[in-house]
Amino acid sequence: MICGKKPLYGKTFDILLAVPLAIYLLLIAGLTLAVFFAITPASIRQAFADNAIWDAVSLSMITTTLSTFLSVCVAIPAGYILSRHRFYGHSLADTLVDLPIVLPPLVMGLCVLLFFNTKIGLWLDRGIVEEGLFVYQPLGIILVQFIVGCAFAVRVIKSGFDSMDPAYEDMAMTLGANRWQTFYKVTLSSAAPSIMAGAVISWARIFGLFGPILLVAGTMRGRTEIMPTTIFLEVSIGRIEVALVVAAMMILISMAILIVLKRLGGRGYLL
Amino acid sequence: MSNEVGLENISFSIGSFKMQDLSLDVRKGEYFVLTGHNGSGKTIIIKIITGIYRPDSGVVRLGGEIVNDIPPWKRNIGYVPQEGLLFFNRSVRDNIRFGLEVRKVDESSVVERVDRVAELLNITHLMDRPVTGLSGGERQRVALARALAFEPRVLLLDEPVSAIDENSRDELCRELRRIQRALGITVLHVAHAQREIDLVADRCGRIEAGRMQRVDVISGNP
Repeated sequence: MICGKKPLYGKTFDILLAVPLAIYLLLIAGLTLAVFFAITPASIRQAFADNAIWDAVSLSMITTTLSTFLSVCVAIPAGYILSRHRFYGHSLADTLVDLPIVLPPLVMGLCVLLFFNTKIGLWLDRGIVEEGLFVYQPLGIILVQFIVGCAFAVRVIKSGFDSMDPAYEDMAMTLGANRWQTFYKVTLSSAAPSIMAGAVISWARIFGLFGPILLVAGTMRGRTEIMPTTIFLEVSIGRIEVALVVAAMMILISMAILIVLKRLGGRGYLL
Repeated sequence: MSNEVGLENISFSIGSFKMQDLSLDVRKGEYFVLTGHNGSGKTIIIKIITGIYRPDSGVVRLGGEIVNDIPPWKRNIGYVPQEGLLFFNRSVRDNIRFGLEVRKVDESSVVERVDRVAELLNITHLMDRPVTGLSGGERQRVALARALAFEPRVLLLDEPVSAIDENSRDELCRELRRIQRALGITVLHVAHAQREIDLVADRCGRIEAGRMQRVDVISGNP
């Protein structure tokens, strides 16, 4: 069952250990299936006929993908520096990176709103465009998603760099590779599974982000409405059946992305 | 005979280890073995020559030129560590190609040089295999091929046979000697066992606690 070709000694031991896993899997599967069983063809038709739903789907996909891309772009160098170097303030930097992971999302959203009330924040938000760049704007969604997603990406990608012996980088340099070549051909290629895992976890985490986005970007239909806020809006106006369809879509999209990215190589590091 | 590798009054400290005023000369085309107890500083000397470590003071020369400020990728040194350090996500062939690829050698020369070095080390049958399934001896041969493919001026071997089984050690040592003679390359080889020294060395230096104790000429090697 668990040991592959090995003979299975003490079967009861493994079965006992497998029980909590089975209970948890049943719970997850039950909750997920409950959503699908509650959906009717009529509610699907109703949801699919609503343009606002499709706007929310596309805005969710675009913002989540862009934020994940930005997160990974920042997390690769950040994770590398945190992994390979010990500098003054390293512990503080390492802790600060984790802050968005442990902070309640709503508190994080409030922090972002507060920042845009400061002089620098106001200038950044309204200095170029009068109606604002971030607050109650789609860019605000990306900013909030990036702050949260990047923390997860840094954590996972850094662990990939941590597990790689720096002696391989030294080896590459003695073979004639300069720092950039070494980073590209050895470091990144060895850390590829953890980078992929960082992207997956970041994507999965921010796809369903709700509270801080509600605070910073609001829920303007066709403008800053994303799938989680659609569920909130639909429930608040009593259209539970449409909310369920959107929830089912989120489950399907999340599973599809997880399966595809896991197959691409992030298997070893995934949640 | 001119010196290919020269260390002059090298001082270096890392953690509790201290190396002081160490000097060493390896002549062009000779097979020099460096020996000493664990923790005596042998690997540190190798890493100082490669440029992975920078000495606190003293001069490192390669072919007479001072290379203290030259980064490892410009020193043209072949280095084979004890564990081989093959890139596990590349095939045997791609590992050997690495040094030539980063030097942007044209493809036809890459193919020719890789084939030549594979033949020299009798690993042509391994070329398309992943490195993960190789035995200790095979791994070291591949690491050696990778270090020789770009035709370095010096070959540094850090206990190259200690991770392989006892029966294969003598064979690989004889082969190292044969290859060194065939290519006329300068070799600095870190070794533990007297047997290794007897099989390969022209000269042998003994280092203790970061200081060179003595250098002996070994006679009888072909």
